[in-house]
Amino acid sequence: MAEISFPLPDLGEGLIEATVLEWLVAEGEQVERNHPLVEVETTKSAVELPSPQAGKVLRIFGTPGDTIKVGDPLIVFEVPDDTAGIVGTVPKEEAPKRRVRLNAVLDED
Amino acid sequence: MSETLEAPVMQEAGEGPAVETLSMQQALNRALAEVLAENPRAVVLGEDVGRLGGVFRITDGLQARFGEQRVFDTPLAESGILGMSVGLAMAGYHPIPEVQFDGFAYPAINQIVCQVGRMNYRSRGTLPMPITLRVPSFGGIRAPEHHGESLESLFAHVPGLKVVSPSDPNQAYHLLKHAATRPDPVVFMEPKSRYWQKGEVDLDAAAHGFRPGGSRVAREGRHVTLVAWGAMVARCLQVSELAAEDGIDVEVLDLRWLKPIDAEGLAASVAKTRRAVVVHEAPLTAGLGAEVAALVTERCFGTLRAPVERVTGFDVPYPSGDLEDEYIPNIDRILFGIQRVLEYRRG
Repeated sequence: MAEISFPLPDLGEGLIEATVLEWLVAEGEQVERNHPLVEVETTKSAVELPSPQAGKVLRIFGTPGDTIKVGDPLIVFEVPDDTAGIVGTVPKEEAPKRRVRLNAVLDED
Repeated sequence: MSETLEAPVMQEAGEGPAVETLSMQQALNRALAEVLAENPRAVVLGEDVGRLGGVFRITDGLQARFGEQRVFDTPLAESGILGMSVGLAMAGYHPIPEVQFDGFAYPAINQIVCQVGRMNYRSRGTLPMPITLRVPSFGGIRAPEHHGESLESLFAHVPGLKVVSPSDPNQAYHLLKHAATRPDPVVFMEPKSRYWQKGEVDLDAAAHGFRPGGSRVAREGRHVTLVAWGAMVARCLQVSELAAEDGIDVEVLDLRWLKPIDAEGLAASVAKTRRAVVVHEAPLTAGLGAEVAALVTERCFGTLRAPVERVTGFDVPYPSGDLEDEYIPNIDRILFGIQRVLEYRRG
């Protein structure tokens, strides 16, 4: 298994921190991509952060009321080693399918 | 440039079992770790290769093991990644840059063509460029635009560069270790759709006669040679099993090195089968299949039973999503290619 850390992103233009309002996932929980992770408040607004990826939540940082700086760890996911990259999906290994049949007279063999 | 066709180098057997089942990701990760351990001048750089371990996990754990001086993240600027690599090479290092996706190589084309490929020539051999440029390449993972391109003919056209593409974990492990010890720049095109498939890696292959240079007969056959590289080798092996059901014995030639191309290996295979179909994901026009067809024609004109067939991508931008299956040569298109060379008659 591999660990992937997701730091608090810049949620606006030049914001430097955010305050945790409520965690919407718990450690040990399996989440899908875009699942709401946490509600945080910045100096501009309260926003819900969607999960950047699928995985098991290994660690979350900060309890309600805590301030987290942009770039500091927010959440760590555990993902299987063979999980695809951030872009794209793992191709399925399928039994080969065909419609074309070869029909040739080998005149020299 | 030094010749890639050379005798196998004997190496000490590593710890543990000589054969392990690894994915291509794991095989490449293992190879990089060994290169970093063996060569203190080797450095790995690129976008997200450090703390994250790469979007495909190829550099996973390397920064923790070798430190931020040897495995480091760069800004999102491919021209900078390659420019820095040129400087490192001039200073005596062996940089192993990663361009995160094939389509991101375009901003670095100036550095690749005008510096990486030429510095050794320009300096009369005083500034060699031992750069191993890793490029996750080709399509097949349902990624958006810029994430599924096949740039081998662009790279192969640049004097001074070597180009290689592994087809399975064993090839990936050994070819990367080989490339990363060369004095010349090598573009290492990793078939990203094959990253997750597992295969046996013979870690002691050097002692078992693994040849890092030239092409490789992946399957022997008598009636037709399928020439392929990267992810298309696995597909051609599938096709060869299906063709066998119809009584056609297909040879699959894994070209491996796309510059220089192993013309002798190519000719030896086609001289035997007398028919060739070249399969690649890149667009047809001015693709590497044309080079293969020319080499085969030059060397096997007298014995060829049919013109060389090309089964390739189309002359369109690489499509994302489900259209990928229509673009990448599929089993039926390759079978049609075989049928065309089988039924061709002169006159």
